Amino acid sequence: MSHQAAPPDGVVRVRLFAALREQAGWGERQIRLEAGTASAADLWRQLALGADVPTTIRVAINQAFAAPDTPLRPGDEVAFLPPITGG
Amino acid sequence: MPTPSPAGHPIVVRLLEAPFQPLELLDAWQRSREPSMAVQAAESHFIGRVRPTTASGAPLEALELEHYPGMSEAQLQFLAEACAARHGAGAVLVAHRVGRIAPGEAIVLVAVQADRRGPALRCVQELLEDLKHHAPFWKREWSGGSGTWVAGNTPL
Repeated sequence: MSHQAAPPDGVVRVRLFAALREQAGWGERQIRLEAGTASAADLWRQLALGADVPTTIRVAINQAFAAPDTPLRPGDEVAFLPPITGG
Repeated sequence: MPTPSPAGHPIVVRLLEAPFQPLELLDAWQRSREPSMAVQAAESHFIGRVRPTTASGAPLEALELEHYPGMSEAQLQFLAEACAARHGAGAVLVAHRVGRIAPGEAIVLVAVQADRRGPALRCVQELLEDLKHHAPFWKREWSGGSGTWVAGNTPL
């Protein structure tokens, strides 16, 4: 398997954007994953951003869209993206 | 300069932090295409400009465009390559502003060259919709000195 859950002491980089960044009061953090935090959805809870990742929020891992239950690995860059309004 | 994609569709993606003139950018792109490529019979363009009012109808002072540096460029490239491959288009140019943009200024330019008008027109429209929904950009409207994040895209 090339994809494994991060060990409990794994560190990931978390990024928030636009309205989500302003609601949280921060845009970027290095986070040491707690025991039981294996996915982006777990990370959302660990950061007290809410219970479940809302369906309107998209997840990107290492700058590519990913499902919220995708396992995290140490060194990953995890971003939570509010509804996109480009163009 | 155009970068040939694995599928062979030359894609140019530009993120611009300062105002740009769409026709000048198009002219430069067309000139860059001429020496190396066979003439494409059809070319379609879309230019999007910042509207002078907010979603609620108030006068707009400026539109602020936030993006995810790195992912936004990669995602535009990916969407353009996929669209060109679906329609058999020959070449694609996508330019998108970031930062603070004044009403009336160009915010997006999409241009597609193809052998026929159908693929050229369809690819421009489809790519525009793709980037509005799947490239990490966020708009904030500034009006009366305060900023409001835009909740969603305007109807087609």
